[in-house]
Amino acid sequence: MTPNVRDVLQGVAVALATPPSPEVGMAYTASRMGMVSTLAVLAAGEADRAARDAITENAAIRALFAGAAVHDADGALTAAAAEADADLAVPALDAANARLRRLLIGLHEKVEAAGDGDMNRKIVALYVRMAQIRRMALGG
Amino acid sequence: MSGGLSDAIAAYLGRTWDEPVEIVDLARISGGASRETYRFDALVGGERRPLILRRDPPGSLIETDRRSEFMALKSFNGRGVAAPEPLILELDGAELERPFFVMARIDGGATASPFQPDPYAPHADAIARDFFSTLGRIAAADPAGLPIAEVFEPPALDACWKRELDYWSGVIEADELHPQPIVRAAIRWLYAHPPPPAQKLSVVHGDYRSGNFLHDGEGKIIAVLDWEMAHLGDPLEDLGWGLDPLWRHTNDSDQVGGMCTKVDALRIWEAASGLKVDPAAFGWWEVFASVKGQAIWISSAREYRDSGFREPILCFSGWYTARRQDEILAAHLARLAA
Repeated sequence: MTPNVRDVLQGVAVALATPPSPEVGMAYTASRMGMVSTLAVLAAGEADRAARDAITENAAIRALFAGAAVHDADGALTAAAAEADADLAVPALDAANARLRRLLIGLHEKVEAAGDGDMNRKIVALYVRMAQIRRMALGG
Repeated sequence: MSGGLSDAIAAYLGRTWDEPVEIVDLARISGGASRETYRFDALVGGERRPLILRRDPPGSLIETDRRSEFMALKSFNGRGVAAPEPLILELDGAELERPFFVMARIDGGATASPFQPDPYAPHADAIARDFFSTLGRIAAADPAGLPIAEVFEPPALDACWKRELDYWSGVIEADELHPQPIVRAAIRWLYAHPPPPAQKLSVVHGDYRSGNFLHDGEGKIIAVLDWEMAHLGDPLEDLGWGLDPLWRHTNDSDQVGGMCTKVDALRIWEAASGLKVDPAAFGWWEVFASVKGQAIWISSAREYRDSGFREPILCFSGWYTARRQDEILAAHLARLAA
């Protein structure tokens, strides 16, 4: 997902290391630091969950692909469904997630073109689940 | 407060007004994520003028034309909408190095934070009446007679939806960093189910929502802000944006912008605009609003990365807000697929 925790913390570091310019004033600086602290708290929560969330989403997408053989003329979905997340580093999980999401977009386009209402509902249900998996709480 | 910017403003205004100007109390404020916004007082000719400077930043949430924002303000200032008075538009940047405009400052108002659960209590009903009747008056105005018509070619009534959808889906295509299947499904649905032609051509504020106005704390809106995405189009576009669940302030699914119910919002708007809300057309604009939102958040994430991780607000929008928008989009798609 983007930005990832590394991107967020880079921004936190940049903000903390950059002195405010003279014309900015205290109120804006305080507001900006409030946002920076919110990002740091969100990053802490994301660091705890990022690997688990990516693994969960990747597994859910693969499970859908396993039941989509009728729309898998080139075998790409079946092959993806048979894979597993071997490298559990977050960048590797994110890269796998990007590949699976691209395949999912292609599958959905085929399903819509074919008028397959049942599979369409399964994909949309997966979207709802994906959004829930990735939900962020401001409490961390 | 003093410094390079203060001196630059003084030099510019002194040259423009042809008399000495002193700048005092210059401070940046958080309003408007696509412009650097500063408040200051200009001491000139024995008067103290409270002003706002809106200057193009090196990077921003959205790429917009400052002239269209200026002309939108000019279109509605003094015409039944609390639009601040636009004063000076400088497209070359001059002493300030980047394009900017100056407008009158309206003091004494408050804005709502998205994280306030009940931002307008105990005056939410009055704010709702003012908010949606103001939007109704914007929708009712004939753009042909307004300054903003100098900036935009009027689209055909049956082309309003496609122009906006083409633009925002193009933003997603250009700026997406990680594949986004949910918003792409919503975009395909929008293209496959176009709305009926707009019932009239209107000025569209473009970011009309809770948090983008000043209120006096007693139920009255004293300034409608952030016109940077103003354009001509279908009046239902603003209504869909203002009612997007992103701006709800709470988890109450029947609540709109921390003010009122959806039914009340549409009733107030219809009465003020003299227009009707066709449910099918409005349903399209509701989904479009969430697509446009996601385009802005995706663009924020891109800008955050490309500009060297400088602006925390870009990070927050491209991360937390984008994920919330995905939830809203997925709920739209689930409703449509049921």
